[in-house]
Amino acid sequence: MKNGFKDKLSERVFLALALSSISAIALITVFIVIQGAPIIGKVGLRDFIFGMTWAPSQGKFGIFPMIIGSLSVTLGAVVLGVPVGICGAVFLAEFAPAAVRNLFRPAIQLLAGIPSVVYGFWGLIFIVPFIRDNLGGPGLSILAGSIVLAIMILPTIITISEVQILALPRQYKEGALALGMTHWQAIYSVQLPAAKSGIVAAVVLGIGRAMGETMAVIMVLGNAPGIPTSILDPVRTLTTNIGIEMGYAAGDHRQALFATGIVLFVIIMILNITAQFITRKK
Amino acid sequence: MPDKFKIEKLSFYFKDKRVINSLDLSIRANEILSVLGPANSGITTLLRTLNRLCDTDHDVRIEGDILMDGKSIFAPDISVTELRRKVGMVFEVPTPLPLSIFDNIAYGLRVGGRIGKKEAAERVEYALRTAALWDEVKDRQHIPAMSLSGGQQQRMCIARVIAMDPQVILIDRSCSGLDPISTAKIEESLSQLKERFTIILAPHNVQQAIRVSDRVAFMLMGSLVEEGTGEKVFGDPDDRRTSDYITGRFG
Amino acid sequence: MKFIAILLLAVLLCSCGPGTRSAVVVAGSTSVQPYAEVLAEEYAKRYPGRDVDIQGGGSSAGIRAAQSGTADIGMSSRGLSGDELQMWSAEIARDGLAMIVHPNNALDSLTPEEVRAVYTGRVTNWGELGGPEGRIHVITREEGSGTRGAFEDMLMEGQMITLKAIVQNTNGSVRQLVSNDASSIGFISLGLVDDTVKALQLDGVEATGENVTNGSYMLFRPFIFVSEGEPDGSVMQFIEFTMSPEGQAILAGEGLVSSGEVARR
Repeated sequence: MKNGFKDKLSERVFLALALSSISAIALITVFIVIQGAPIIGKVGLRDFIFGMTWAPSQGKFGIFPMIIGSLSVTLGAVVLGVPVGICGAVFLAEFAPAAVRNLFRPAIQLLAGIPSVVYGFWGLIFIVPFIRDNLGGPGLSILAGSIVLAIMILPTIITISEVQILALPRQYKEGALALGMTHWQAIYSVQLPAAKSGIVAAVVLGIGRAMGETMAVIMVLGNAPGIPTSILDPVRTLTTNIGIEMGYAAGDHRQALFATGIVLFVIIMILNITAQFITRKK
Repeated sequence: MPDKFKIEKLSFYFKDKRVINSLDLSIRANEILSVLGPANSGITTLLRTLNRLCDTDHDVRIEGDILMDGKSIFAPDISVTELRRKVGMVFEVPTPLPLSIFDNIAYGLRVGGRIGKKEAAERVEYALRTAALWDEVKDRQHIPAMSLSGGQQQRMCIARVIAMDPQVILIDRSCSGLDPISTAKIEESLSQLKERFTIILAPHNVQQAIRVSDRVAFMLMGSLVEEGTGEKVFGDPDDRRTSDYITGRFG
Repeated sequence: MKFIAILLLAVLLCSCGPGTRSAVVVAGSTSVQPYAEVLAEEYAKRYPGRDVDIQGGGSSAGIRAAQSGTADIGMSSRGLSGDELQMWSAEIARDGLAMIVHPNNALDSLTPEEVRAVYTGRVTNWGELGGPEGRIHVITREEGSGTRGAFEDMLMEGQMITLKAIVQNTNGSVRQLVSNDASSIGFISLGLVDDTVKALQLDGVEATGENVTNGSYMLFRPFIFVSEGEPDGSVMQFIEFTMSPEGQAILAGEGLVSSGEVARR
């Protein structure tokens, strides 16, 4: 009788703990939605998402430039980071001698542990002046943000891709080699296609991280709320929009920032679901 | 008949453990040689050394030599990829590329350079016929290879090797897990194949060796115990261990 | 279980009474904040034991905090409006606003129309202003900033600052950006101008303290202490210190300008 009671008690306790963590997330979600929904009602969903002008002091709450900003900076990060990341993973899985591998792996973990604000600061000191002096524009730009974010998502892409490649059965590679393919041919004809869904999931996770970054990019993007016309233009993302203005916002302005949070939430949820769908399809 | 391969005092160490023990063996051209033995006898290792797939293993040491057509396959001026095109291999499990059947088989042809559509189609057909797969796939050569059954995939892998026009075909227990019909079809094509190629086979059981071999080599724990013609080794083996293995006393 | 809950409640209630805050709480504009902090420091040195707690949050937040009683004094770096005018207020100093460019910039002076043209995005090239060719990198503060509000009120005449302008959220970062970028223009507190940047003349009038006090340089904003109702006790003591010659000297030493007239209500 006593043992049955203990079992039931621990079951109840675990259930309560699990529920409390889920309910914390649910509460935050509900809070954000409650705070942000009224302004969407006032402005209209279409005008909010596709409105070109963000000028809270004049009651204009269009976040389209910020959506463009988030997308362009993230796209840049993907274009820069994914090829480097996959090549890095291939190098570690296929070419690196054990000594090199044992040096690189912890180094990459270290990279992942650096706080984003440090990345942002580094970007401000090195990347921004470099772009300004060599490529033009104020240096605070989509390009600067993309470079910083690309470096930030590298650990995610490299680690997960490497695991995917190492997990492939040996016969995939050996079958290709036995046909007389060179090592490189075997990698891009057989191994990478076979590891494709895992690598894609890693990339989607990297994209999710890039879209959610605030501190790393707030210092290097320039935060101009207009639509950019080149990668050297300053830009503002959904995340930095909230970061920059939250301290001073009140009333409608503050609601609009919460509403920006709702949009972000939805986008990142879609990304995560996509990643799960891709990995499950395997 | 000239020797295709001459294996001279070959020893193979994997992480300081000796897997092949001073092996001396000659393999004649255009014959089917079965290399028999219980698990961990070094048979797969031997096959993987013949096409130097062992190069991908780490912590490996090789002593002795293997000569193909009189030249060492370990010579520094030997191109490993060239060697592997001449010495093709079919594995225990099918290894289709993520391509269509046609592209799988044509892959090796294209790697060497451009090849005309007509010539490619002809060579693919020849390969599929020889591998006893043509009738089943002739009308759907462009479907993904992965959609074939296991037995069909394995025959496709054989066709793929044939299309490369090698000199030697290594077959490492490739009929394990195949249905008897597929196995029979493959064994049937082997006798045709030996007219053009030298075949070294690690059979998945003794009965298969009895069915198809010209010559047999029996290996035990990395050493060569006995070798000779099929009739001799199966009918009247010299070594007690050989007869024990063949009759199933140990396995 | 119930007993513990009641005990907790009792402790909480006890700690919610007045008189547990011995420090005077001053909150509001981040522009005023550094100056208020210096004042508070000197005040505490002068009168040991009299603590003043300075917080930021922005002019609007500070005024609201004073209204609600969360803070004893609200700091504002912009003029009051609407129901804020009902509050007790004192202008403690004036903060000149300087238009700054890189020290190597060819220009020395701009007219208000030119500044407006640049900040609305109508003029995009230094060449149009008489300087060498080069795209103008416009820098502004974030919406809701008192400094930006003052700039807009005084110079923009209701026109919108271009959405392409780079936004930074402190005076310091604006100054740093301008000092590094030869093509940029920005605005910061006059008291924060140093030799890493050049302050432009407005209509030929130098951006200096005297010109702010005598009114010939029109770009300044008032630094105001507000309170809900007439302040008294320790709160009034701090305000009086601020308005005293000693306090004013401290502020002047930090780069602020004394008010043209002392407004006290």
